[in-house]
Amino acid sequence: MSYTLRGRIETRLAAAALPLAAAVVWSAGAREWWPLEVAALMLGVGLVLDAGAYHRLLPYQPGWAAVPLGLLELGFVLWCTRALRIGAPYEPAVAFFFLAWLWAQVLGHAALPLARFEYAEDGGELGRGGAPLGVAVALVLIAAGGVAWFTRPPTVHLHGVVRGPLVLDHAQTLVGGVVTGGIVVTADDVTIRDVTVLGGDNGIEIREAQDVRLERVRVSGAREDAINARQSSVQIEDCVVDAPPGTQGIDVSFAMHHGMSMVEGCVVHGGDVGITMHTMMGDIRENVVVGARHHGIELTEMSMGKVERNEVRGTRGVGIYCGDHSVCEVERNRLVGGAGPGVLAFYYAGAELAHNVFVDTPPAAHSPDSTLTR
Amino acid sequence: MAHTTLRAGGVAPDEIVVFGADADPAGPWRTRATAIRQTHMRSESDGHPFPRTFPGLAAREAARTLDPWPLLLSVADRYRPRVGVFLDAVDRARERSGWDDSLRVGRTFLVTTCHKGFRVDGDGPYRHVLLALGHPGLAWPDDRDARCVHAYEPHEYARKVAVVGAGMAAATEWRNARAAGAEVVSVRRREPVLRPLNLPRPLFTKRGLDEYRRGDRAAFLRAFSAPSYPRELHLDVPVAPAVPDDAEQVVCATGFLRGYAHDPLLARLVDEHALATVDGLLVLNDNATVPGLTDDTRTLAVSGVHAQWSFPAADTLSGMRWVAHRLLRRCRTR
Repeated sequence: MSYTLRGRIETRLAAAALPLAAAVVWSAGAREWWPLEVAALMLGVGLVLDAGAYHRLLPYQPGWAAVPLGLLELGFVLWCTRALRIGAPYEPAVAFFFLAWLWAQVLGHAALPLARFEYAEDGGELGRGGAPLGVAVALVLIAAGGVAWFTRPPTVHLHGVVRGPLVLDHAQTLVGGVVTGGIVVTADDVTIRDVTVLGGDNGIEIREAQDVRLERVRVSGAREDAINARQSSVQIEDCVVDAPPGTQGIDVSFAMHHGMSMVEGCVVHGGDVGITMHTMMGDIRENVVVGARHHGIELTEMSMGKVERNEVRGTRGVGIYCGDHSVCEVERNRLVGGAGPGVLAFYYAGAELAHNVFVDTPPAAHSPDSTLTR
Repeated sequence: MAHTTLRAGGVAPDEIVVFGADADPAGPWRTRATAIRQTHMRSESDGHPFPRTFPGLAAREAARTLDPWPLLLSVADRYRPRVGVFLDAVDRARERSGWDDSLRVGRTFLVTTCHKGFRVDGDGPYRHVLLALGHPGLAWPDDRDARCVHAYEPHEYARKVAVVGAGMAAATEWRNARAAGAEVVSVRRREPVLRPLNLPRPLFTKRGLDEYRRGDRAAFLRAFSAPSYPRELHLDVPVAPAVPDDAEQVVCATGFLRGYAHDPLLARLVDEHALATVDGLLVLNDNATVPGLTDDTRTLAVSGVHAQWSFPAADTLSGMRWVAHRLLRRCRTR
């Protein structure tokens, strides 16, 4: 088909209408915004590519081109999802994209040519139906955006030192300030950003809460764990943690059925264990863990996850521990000055190793019941 | 094509009259395809007589045979329907649209205007008339002699055959003659263009049409009258600038006469109404209607090769469908 620019845009809007409607229903039913955000991203990416690239580069678009163009758009959508920090789970988001793409093919190759005689020869234009369709799609997006804007969690700015413990029991964004005595999160959709926490039993404690984000938090002086999450899905980024002896730095555990959690870009100093996940699906990447007494990073108790691009320094025990029936991908980590094995697979665990660097650290090892794959 | 489109667009059978010399809508084409032993169409999946592009011949063939291969070929622009598949589709379209009920067999000589529209050989009046006259006749080389046969007329092959021309028919005849054991020489003045369709694909849609209409249409049509055929039909045969003296047979794959002047009905209309022409082409409105004879109350439209001023690929099935859609729009607003 040789699309006109208007034809591309109108066809794109027509194809987006059903996925948008489905996303509205999905978002309303699941009380999550990501389906609508992904649908809007798909439309936005498509329109930008239509106007900026496809129209000029593809005076004629053969049927097979839908596959590589679809993959290109999927790549952009996933990249934007990550860049815009949209909390879309990977597999449902890709499945949603694929179904929307499939629907677009059915629509463009069969339904629209059946519905409108001149569809192909008019380069994909929809005639009198085009403008109302554009208005309808815009209205859906504006309405959804309006609802999202007016129902978004409130943002609370802290100034100076606030005596805790603070209990966050409804969705909100907490920004700035210093909290003494710890923070307890019990609600979904909580974001804590640029907050310093001093003391407390656990510095930041998260209980049965989903979609919690900790961004650039600093935690020190907690009596147990600096950050402790249970049965929660958590994204922790760019934190700084100081853990006294006998405590743990970051412990995210027992949420195997709550999706992926992630610890990324943090600096953890001290503690018995730097970063630990028990019975979790999670990624631990690009962190620096210094001076842990027992394990620098550990995935244990049937956890599944990826440990990559971390630097683990001066651990007195194991650098990266994969234990108790866990399955770990351990890639591109740097282990420096550790006393125990750089990587240890222990008690029916399996670790896949790739491109790790061991400096003044004993090599990887495993117990007889566990495996190391290189 | 126009008949099936009008019917699909809701025009009742008793509101349509077809004047045709042949009861079979594909009759002349069938004769020519048989003459050059054509096995596959040059057109692709949407080269069919139905008013909508979907389902195309590839989808129909895949559904009928439960074989997805035609669809996969179509997705890659490699599907060329067999002539039999196309003619079956014509037969189905003829049957479903009630073509035979609308048909009045006979040659049409005269279209005249009247205050209610047009009269066709005195019959009417009709408010909307489409002239789908086809090619005005076969084109022959100037130095035609007794050895000449036209590619589009039934013929066998001698032992030494010269094929004049370099288009789709010529490429087919090279293979036919060689398959019949003949020694083949291609007589041509210019090298053929190898391309899948007879025009670049954007020219089949509004995108290319807008550009075409902004430019010099006559110059464009001259440039694109160069012979062409799909790459897969190419065959290396000896080339000569003139017909060799020892050729026992000259197959003239020289196509058709070009221009309205070769069609008596059109020539008369042009003379009587002083219609605009350029370079032997009828100047038409952008919806393939004849300016001066079309207004809010009546339509005189042209389809096929004579509509190239509006749609450069008007002599293809897609072109005929394009004109039919514009005609339907005119009829709907009647």
